[in-house]
Amino acid sequence: MSEVAKKETEKELSRFRPATDILEREDGFHIFMDMPGVNKADMAIDLEEDELTVTGRSGQCPIPGERFVEMQFGACEYVRSISISDIVDREQIKASLENGVLELFLPKVEKVQPKRITIQAQ
Amino acid sequence: MVIDFNTLYNFPSRLDRVFEEMLRSPMGDDRRLAYPPLNLSNDEGNIYVRAEVPGVTIDDVELTLTDKTLVIKGERTAPQGKFYRQERPSGVFHRVVNIGVPVDRDKVAAAMKDGVLTVTLPKSEEVKPRTISIDVA
Repeated sequence: MSEVAKKETEKELSRFRPATDILEREDGFHIFMDMPGVNKADMAIDLEEDELTVTGRSGQCPIPGERFVEMQFGACEYVRSISISDIVDREQIKASLENGVLELFLPKVEKVQPKRITIQAQ
Repeated sequence: MVIDFNTLYNFPSRLDRVFEEMLRSPMGDDRRLAYPPLNLSNDEGNIYVRAEVPGVTIDDVELTLTDKTLVIKGERTAPQGKFYRQERPSGVFHRVVNIGVPVDRDKVAAAMKDGVLTVTLPKSEEVKPRTISIDVA
């Protein structure tokens, strides 16, 4: 375990948990994640059983000859997992990335409608 | 972590959580600086000011260039709904950047990409390095 962790820190970018808002509306759950600098192509969203994992890499390509005076953010990797409940319709999850904010929409499963069973008369 | 209505947790994934919790939050600890975080850099011809402002469009940002400062102003609005978790900052932000060298005010450009604002301030001609040829008499 420690070996794996060490290996990761050596070559991987620094990892961050993106700031996340989770809220419920009439139609379902909405998740907002701040992932500035992340391109659509550098993002992956995986759903494995009840775990929804979002990973994204923010790339910084400085212009050659650029000298930094102050650096408060940089290239990094965003990782966050969220466990989702059974009332979420897994097939209908939608994601959109706009202005560095990932929005996930998790609709609720349609309630099973009660059904009357008709009895066939002999 | 959040929308947990499940009662049965499978243990290995919980263990992952412990490690995940250890990951730093971009708003936490060493990064808890003035908002928004800024990168300041320069090269031969330009000064670059970059700011991480996810969810903000270029129209929502107000940039003011005064004599020696660049002022970045804007507002982030929180979405509406019943919150389970709210970590994303919202409200008005305001940052002042001191610009030490004279800039070409008419050629200042700003762009927004993936939530990162980049302001390019070209340095004035008079401060750019120049080679002066000396005629030897």
